Amino acid sequence: MIIGGTVALKLSPHALEDLAQGRVAALVSATNGKTSTTRLLATAMSQGGPIASPTTGANMTEGAVWALATGAPGAQAVLEVDEAYLPRIVKETKPKVVLLANLSRDQLDRMSEVAMLARKWRKMIEENPEVLIIANADDPIVVFAAEKTKKIVWVSAGQAWTADSSVCPECGTLLSRDEKTWSCSGCGRKRPTPSWNFEWKAAQGKTTATAISPTGEKFDLSDLNLPGRFNASNATMALAACSELGYNLPKAVELMSTVSAVSGRYAVVQSGALKVRLLLAKNPAGWSELLDIMPPAPTPVIVMINSNSADGRDPSWLWDVPFERLAGRTVIASGNRRRDLAVRLLHAGVDSVVVEDPFAPDADLPDSVRAIDVIDCAATYTAFQKIRVGALEGEVDA
Amino acid sequence: MSKTVKIASIYPTLLGTYGDGGNVAALRHIAALHGITVSVEEVSPGNKVPANADIYVLGGGEDTAQSAAAAALHASGALAEGVKNGAAVLSICAGYQILGHTFLDAEGKPSAGLGLLDVTTDRLEKRAVGELVAHPLSSGPAGISAVLTGYENHGGFTHLGSGVEPFASVTSGIGNGDGTTEGAINGRVIGTYLHGPCLVRNPQVAEQLLSWAIDRKLEHIVEAEVEALRKERLDFVTKNR
Repeated sequence: MIIGGTVALKLSPHALEDLAQGRVAALVSATNGKTSTTRLLATAMSQGGPIASPTTGANMTEGAVWALATGAPGAQAVLEVDEAYLPRIVKETKPKVVLLANLSRDQLDRMSEVAMLARKWRKMIEENPEVLIIANADDPIVVFAAEKTKKIVWVSAGQAWTADSSVCPECGTLLSRDEKTWSCSGCGRKRPTPSWNFEWKAAQGKTTATAISPTGEKFDLSDLNLPGRFNASNATMALAACSELGYNLPKAVELMSTVSAVSGRYAVVQSGALKVRLLLAKNPAGWSELLDIMPPAPTPVIVMINSNSADGRDPSWLWDVPFERLAGRTVIASGNRRRDLAVRLLHAGVDSVVVEDPFAPDADLPDSVRAIDVIDCAATYTAFQKIRVGALEGEVDA
Repeated sequence: MSKTVKIASIYPTLLGTYGDGGNVAALRHIAALHGITVSVEEVSPGNKVPANADIYVLGGGEDTAQSAAAAALHASGALAEGVKNGAAVLSICAGYQILGHTFLDAEGKPSAGLGLLDVTTDRLEKRAVGELVAHPLSSGPAGISAVLTGYENHGGFTHLGSGVEPFASVTSGIGNGDGTTEGAINGRVIGTYLHGPCLVRNPQVAEQLLSWAIDRKLEHIVEAEVEALRKERLDFVTKNR
């Protein structure tokens, strides 16, 4: 599909600039949640007519070209953008707003280290002062990247993963943190006062999520179909963008609640002999949040770790993920790095069974796995895509 | 009563970018297999580095964090004191570079290390990223005999002085950058580019560190899951050579 975008760029290196022409309402970038936030925002904005937006999670230049070229003519566009490609795509598409949610370690075998990426974003924002930035005030790395512009809306979108922002990205001083805020005693940088706030409460299996506007108006996000704290946080970022772009906000919440699966994420699919709920996580920050939306022990889960190019070649980040939280259940360890996972789980005190292909009819699975209707299958990118594509094409024998 | 082995994890918030927390997890796990009691202190920057730990562990980190860690360790002086008292040190990647005389900061300027290993680090022409396999030297610690497996991801070229021995000899990957040597060792101080994490994929190294700490030889305990992982990784390198 993105091949179309590649061809267009071969024919005209300015294809993206030519196609954008004031149509791009928003770009969404982050280490985690790009695809879901893009979908939430595009769905919310569809109240004003058709929106051009990628449906595949393709987020480099070719993906942007393709989404613009194939969307309804003249339609407003919402694009997700790979962190490293963002400066180029901002320059070429001149978006009205850019959403920046979080930055953390990801695929260190090929990507920049986090601080380097933040410096590139910072330069980009200085060079494009007319673009409105909507950024997460709770992530110190994002704040460092975004703070130089005057056109900014800060959102308190939360930060569950702090390991990549323990020190000030500018002066290297250890940041002080309390429950809500952070500050640097070295250079005085501190969490900006957010315009939008976000509250998440989980008690006795029930969760409530609320977005609070700059004027104190509350929006209940508890009816979102996408699970987890992080998706409610994504929705708050999207709502702030809707507000800046002039959309009706209650309508935006209603439309966002209709999103139930995003490019296969959270979809229930038949994979071989098993029916699974597909979960995608690519890095320790993503995994940490994902573990919380799995059903409680002793319900077994499948975890698939691959180390193909698109996953990152080095899965030593497994040791940054709090897999201890899976204790009390059996984990089916799969993927081409299932042996790394099995050792990680051994050290975490979690029972595991190593199975090369858990979806084969004759797979040697514990009875508890076959006994449940839908089992959670959390996977890295290529393992996730393989199951998703297999289910879409019906290639797998049921 | 056998003694409690005191492990100090040095600045894991600064030096822990590449899953290096797994080294401390592995020390804990392997100590338990041998019936050794350990206490682990995770030292945050700004807090006091203990001078009386038995084993110090330093992981890898980004450039800015590396410089911050080096500055804080300089100011403390406790690591040097610990080494003088006979403590063992496992330092990985950025942590290894910090233990040398100099390393390069984010701007490429030489920055002072702790001088606990007679090495200096400048830049490789091309970043070393990939599986790393190395053989321990026969002159090295008695407890480390099995081939070493890990993953390297660094831009540093580390030059060894006469005051250290190489930790191992590279059979696949880059290591220090001279084409043959990987890491450095002097007494009980080890520096290496092996992530993976190192002690997870090479339990003999963990056993050697613990053995130094309790002053007693440890018989190697084989765990099936770990052996399966080692074999799979070593086979992968052989197949893709």
